Amino acid sequence: MTHPVATVGRAMTSAPRAYAPIVLVGVLAALLPLRYGDSRTMMGVIIGGVLFAAYVIGFNVIFGSTGQLFLCVGALAGLGGYASGILSDRHGLPMVLAIVLASLVAAVVGGLLSWIAVSRSLGVIFTGIVTLAFSLAFQNLLLGRRDLTGGETGLVVDAGSESLLGEQVAPYYAFLVLVVAYLVVHRALQRSRVGWAFRALRDDEVAAELTGIDVKRYRVLAGTLGSAMIGLAGALYAHSEGFVSPSTFAFGEVDVRVLVMLAFGGIGSLLGPVIGAAAFTALDEWLVSFNEYRLITYGAVILVVFLGFPRGVVLRSPGGWRRRRASPLRGAPPS
Amino acid sequence: MTAVALDGIVLGLQFGLLGVGLTLVYGLGGVLNLAHGQLAVLGAIVAALRMDAGASAVVAVLTGLAAAGTAALLLDLTLLRPVYRRRGEARVLLGLLLMLGVAFVIDGVLVWRYPIEALSLRIGGDPVDVLGVGMRTGSLLASAIAVGTGVALVVFFRFTTLGKAVRSVIQDEEGAQLCGVSPATVRALVLPLSGVLAALVAVTRSMTSPVTVNAGIDLTTLALIVAVVGGLGSVSGAFLAGVLLGIVNTVSAHYIGSYVTTIVLLGAAAVTIVLRPSGLLGVGRE
Repeated sequence: MTHPVATVGRAMTSAPRAYAPIVLVGVLAALLPLRYGDSRTMMGVIIGGVLFAAYVIGFNVIFGSTGQLFLCVGALAGLGGYASGILSDRHGLPMVLAIVLASLVAAVVGGLLSWIAVSRSLGVIFTGIVTLAFSLAFQNLLLGRRDLTGGETGLVVDAGSESLLGEQVAPYYAFLVLVVAYLVVHRALQRSRVGWAFRALRDDEVAAELTGIDVKRYRVLAGTLGSAMIGLAGALYAHSEGFVSPSTFAFGEVDVRVLVMLAFGGIGSLLGPVIGAAAFTALDEWLVSFNEYRLITYGAVILVVFLGFPRGVVLRSPGGWRRRRASPLRGAPPS
Repeated sequence: MTAVALDGIVLGLQFGLLGVGLTLVYGLGGVLNLAHGQLAVLGAIVAALRMDAGASAVVAVLTGLAAAGTAALLLDLTLLRPVYRRRGEARVLLGLLLMLGVAFVIDGVLVWRYPIEALSLRIGGDPVDVLGVGMRTGSLLASAIAVGTGVALVVFFRFTTLGKAVRSVIQDEEGAQLCGVSPATVRALVLPLSGVLAALVAVTRSMTSPVTVNAGIDLTTLALIVAVVGGLGSVSGAFLAGVLLGIVNTVSAHYIGSYVTTIVLLGAAAVTIVLRPSGLLGVGRE
C-alpha cells in the first residue's frame, strides 16, 4: 500500500523531462504517413487508431485520474459528432464554431453526469450503471429521432468535405495534433495543483478530504474536461469521415475498446492510452479476416489483463520516467 | 386496457425472474454479473441443440438449465476466487470487469459456433379466457413458472436454515462467518442457482417468442435495470420491480411508441439510483 504522502511528496521532474515522451510520440507518429500515406485503407485504419487514442486519453482523465467509471464514452463522442454535424449542416454554422459548440455540449453533459454521481456519492458501480443507462438511452434516441439523426441509416455530414479534412493524409495530422495537445494538457494537469489533488483523492479519498481538498469539485472538473476531450474528438471525426451512424458510437464499438485499450496500456498513466490504442488497432487489423474471433479475443484480453495485471500490462513498473501511483483497481484496505 | 395490464404483468413476471438471479449474486458477494444474459442464452442454445438432436422438450430444457448452472458454478470456483479476496470498491470493480470479459467470451463463442441457432418452445392449446381477455397458453405457463419460482425462492429464504444462511451472508459477510456460516459454500450454492434461474428465463421467454443466440446483451441490460430498481440483494424487490417495469413497458409501448419505451425503462433505473440507491426494497448496504 503506497502512502498518499509518499506519492504526493515526490520531487517534481524538470519540464523538459516531463514533456520529452510526448514529443517523442508526436515525432514518431508524424512519420507514419511516409510509410502508409499512399494507401487509403491503411490511412483510414491509422486515423481510427489516433481517434481512439484521443477517446482513451479523455476516459483516462475521468477514470484513471479520479476513479469515475464512465461507461458512456461512445455516447459523449456521439453527442459531439451528431451535434456538430447537425449544427453545421442543418443550421449553417461555420464548421469550427459547430465543433466548439458540440464539444461544449459533451462537456456539459459529462459534467452533469459527474456532478450527479458525486453529489449522490454513487460509488463506482452505480456511476457505471447510470452512465451505461445514459449510453443506451442515447443510442435509442439516435435510432428513434429519425427526422434529426437519420435513424439507423446514419447522417451524412457535408461540412468539412471541401476543407483539408476531406483529404487523405491531412485529417491524420489534425487528429495527431489533437492527441498531442491532449497529452500536453494531461501532463500539465498532472504537474499542477490539480494533479496533486487527483492523486491524493484517488489514493485515499477520506485523507484527501481531511487535508482540505474539495474532492467533489475535482471529480466534476475531471468529468467535464474528459468529456470535452471525447466530444471534440467525436466532432472532428464526424467532419473528417463525412458520415456518422448509431453504430459508429455504439457501446460495443467504442466503450468496450476504450476500456480494453486503457487497461492494457496502464490505467492512470500518461502514455498508456497511446500504447493501448496502437496495440489494439494493430490487433484489430490483424484479426480483420477472422472477425468471429474478435469478440472472444477482447473478452480474453479483459480477463487476462484484469486478473494478471491489475495495474496495466505495459506501463506497470514503477520508477523510470513514470511516477509510481496507485491504480483504481488496487485493493482497498479491509473495511 | 385490461389486456395491456395483463400483458404487462406477464412480461413483468419474466422481468422479475430475470432480475432475481442477478440481484442474488450481487447481494452475496458484490459481483455484478454482466454475463447473466449470456448464461441464459447459453442454457437456451444447449436446450435448442438437444432438441435438434431429437431429445424431448423436457429433457432438453433440463439439460439447458443444468448447463447454465454448471457454467455459473465453474465461474464461481475459478475466475471469481481472486475477486472475493478483495474488499470494498476494488472487489466490485474487478468483479464487474471480469464478468464483462466473460460475457464477451460466451457471446463470441456462441455467435461463432451457432450463428443461427435459436430456442423456440411451442406450447399448443387454445387461448384461455382470463378476465375477458384471451391469453395464450404459452404466456400463462411462463407466468405460472415465474410465480412458482418466485414463491419457492421467498419460502426458501424466509423459512429454511439454508435460506437464512444465505441472507445472513447478504447482510453481513464477516458477521455470518463469525456465526459459522461459510460465505464460500453459500456462494458455491447460489451461483449455480442464479445460472439456472437465468436459463429458466430464456426457457419461459421462448414459449412466446424465440430466444436467439445474440439476445444476451439485451437480457443482461434488462436484468440490471430490474435488479437496480428492486434493490440489489432483494428477492421480493426484484419481482416487485419486474412487475412494475413490465406494466410501464407495455403501457408505454402501447400508448407512446417503441423507442421511448426503452428510454423510459433506462430512465427509471437511473432515477431510482439517484433518488434511492438501495432500490425499492433494498437491504441498504450502500
